[in-house]
Amino acid sequence: MDIQFGTETEIGITREKPDGLDVVAESIALVRSATAPGVRMRWDYSCEDPHCDARGFRVKELLQDIDESNYFAQDAQRTLTFHEIKSDLVLRNGARFYNDHAHPEYCTPECSRLLEILQQDYSGDSVLIACAKALTQNSDNPVLLYKNNTDFRGHSYGCHENYLMPRTLTWDVLSQAIVAFFVTRQIYAGAGKFGWEEEDTFIKAGFQISQRSDFFSELQSVDTMQRRPLVNTRDEPHANNELYRRFHVIIGDSNLSLYSTYLKIGTTCLVLQALLNGAPLERVPKVSDPLHTLKMISRDTSWKWYCREASGRPTTAVDIQRAYLQLVKEYCTGLDHDWKAVLDAWEQVLNDLEVDPLSSADRLDWSAKYKLIEEFRQAEKLETNDPWLRSLDLAYHLLDRQQGLFYGLLEHGAFKFPYSYDEITCHSLCPPPSTRAAVRGRCIEKFGAAVNATQWDYILLHGAHKKIELDLRNLFDPNLIKQSLKIISAAQSVEDLAVLKFAKLV
Amino acid sequence: MPDRIQKPQPANPTPGGGGGGESPRAPRVEKPNTDELLKRMRKVDPDQAKRYRQRTGQ
Repeated sequence: MDIQFGTETEIGITREKPDGLDVVAESIALVRSATAPGVRMRWDYSCEDPHCDARGFRVKELLQDIDESNYFAQDAQRTLTFHEIKSDLVLRNGARFYNDHAHPEYCTPECSRLLEILQQDYSGDSVLIACAKALTQNSDNPVLLYKNNTDFRGHSYGCHENYLMPRTLTWDVLSQAIVAFFVTRQIYAGAGKFGWEEEDTFIKAGFQISQRSDFFSELQSVDTMQRRPLVNTRDEPHANNELYRRFHVIIGDSNLSLYSTYLKIGTTCLVLQALLNGAPLERVPKVSDPLHTLKMISRDTSWKWYCREASGRPTTAVDIQRAYLQLVKEYCTGLDHDWKAVLDAWEQVLNDLEVDPLSSADRLDWSAKYKLIEEFRQAEKLETNDPWLRSLDLAYHLLDRQQGLFYGLLEHGAFKFPYSYDEITCHSLCPPPSTRAAVRGRCIEKFGAAVNATQWDYILLHGAHKKIELDLRNLFDPNLIKQSLKIISAAQSVEDLAVLKFAKLV
Repeated sequence: MPDRIQKPQPANPTPGGGGGGESPRAPRVEKPNTDELLKRMRKVDPDQAKRYRQRTGQ
C-alpha cells in the first residue's frame, strides 16, 4: 500500500440548556480544557494555503456561508488573539486538536494501517469525552458533544479524510475515476439521518442513509463550506509537492461504528491503490448525473438504490461498488493479509445490503441507527415525522458512554469489530509507529517545551544555543523513521537531534 | 470478519495513558438488551434537536 491516511472530524457542541450559548466560546473552552499531554498554540498557520487548486491554479477566495460573514464580524470583537481562539494542541500521538472556528476538531495523525486509524480515531473520541467531562464539572448545565454532521437546520460540519499518495496518478484521472465511488460509498459508509435538508434549510422529516449527501451541489471545486463539491480540489500535500498528493475528501459522514470507519477508509485506499497501479479510466464505473444520484441514493427508502450509468443503462449502487471491487481484485494483486480482509468485508457487506439491508446493522451506522430508532418509534406509537426522532438521531451521536445511543448499542454487544475491541481501544495516545507522526509525537512528548512551531510537515525546536528544524516533507521510509526514533529516544538535548537525516540548523 | 492481526508496539509507551479520558470497557457479547436501550431512549428530550443550532463548518 502506497497510501497513508487520516481524518479530520468537526464536532457539534452545545449545552443541555443552550439559551444564549456562544458556540465559539464553548468550542474554545472545550479545547482548552484538554489535559492530554501535548504542545499548545505552536501551530504554524503561515504556511497553510487552502486556495491552491489541484487543477493547476490558485483561487482568489473561498465561498463562505452567508451567516459566516456576520459571524466573522462578531468574532473580530473577541478579546482573544488569533492563536488563542484556535487554541491548537498538538498531542503526543501526533494528532492535532483545535477550535476550527466554531467546532472542536480532532485530526488524527498519519496512519498506514487500518488498525491504526481506528485506534487514533478512538483516542480522539476519548480526548473529547474527557474534555466534556472536565468542562461540565462544577456546572449544572452539561456540555453535549455530537460526532455527527448536521444541526437539522441545514448547517453541516465535516469529517474529512486525507489520503497521501504518490503524485504519479494525474488529477484528471483521479477526479473522474472516483466520482461514482463517492456517490455510492454511502450505502455502507453513511451514518443515517432522520431528516432532509439543503444548505441553511430543513426540508422535511424522513430517513436517509447519509448525513452529508444533502449538502453537495458541485462536481469539483476547492470550497468546503458552501456549494460543496463531490471532489474537493484542494492541493496542499503537507509533503514534498513534487512527489506527493494529499487527496482531501470532504464527502464522508462522521462514523461511530468502528466497522463503518474501517470500510470507509479501507475501500477508499484500495480504490486509490488500484488507480495508482494502472486501472484504466475506461474500466471505471461512471454514474449518470452524480449530484442528483447522490441525493437519490441517500433518500431511497426502498434501499434498492437504483440508478443509471452514464450511458443510461440501469444499475444499482451495489453493482457500481461491485465494479470497483472487481477492479481492486484485478489491479491490487499483492495485498497482504490485512488488506485482503478489507476486500472480504467489502464483498460481504455488499452481498448483505443487496439481500437484506438491515442485516448490516451489526456493522453499519445507518442501519444500526434506523433499526434502533424505528423499533422505538413503533413501541411509542410515534408518527414518522415526529421531531423526537431527530432528537434520538442526535442522541445516537452523543459522545457520552453513559447516555449516547451508539454507546448503548456498543455496550450491549450489537456491533462487530474488524479487530478486537481491546486492540483498538487500549492504545492510548501513542502515535502510529511507522509514519512520520511517530517522530512528531515523540518530539512533542520529549521536547515539548522546546517546540517553537509545528505543522504536519515540520517541527521547529530551540535548544540552549541553536534552533533545529526537522523537515518531515519526505519522511515516509519506515526504516528511517525507526532509526530516527532511536536517536530521539537517546537524545539528551534538542541539539542532539541535529544528527537526524532530516534536521537542519536554522 | 477479518482475522485479528498482531498488536503493534507503541512508539512511545509512556505508562498511564495521560489524559485520554475514562477507561473503555469491553462490550458485553450477549444479545443486546433492547429494554435497557429503550429506557435510555425514553430519557432523550424530545425537543433536544429543536434547540440544537450550530454554525456551518467545513
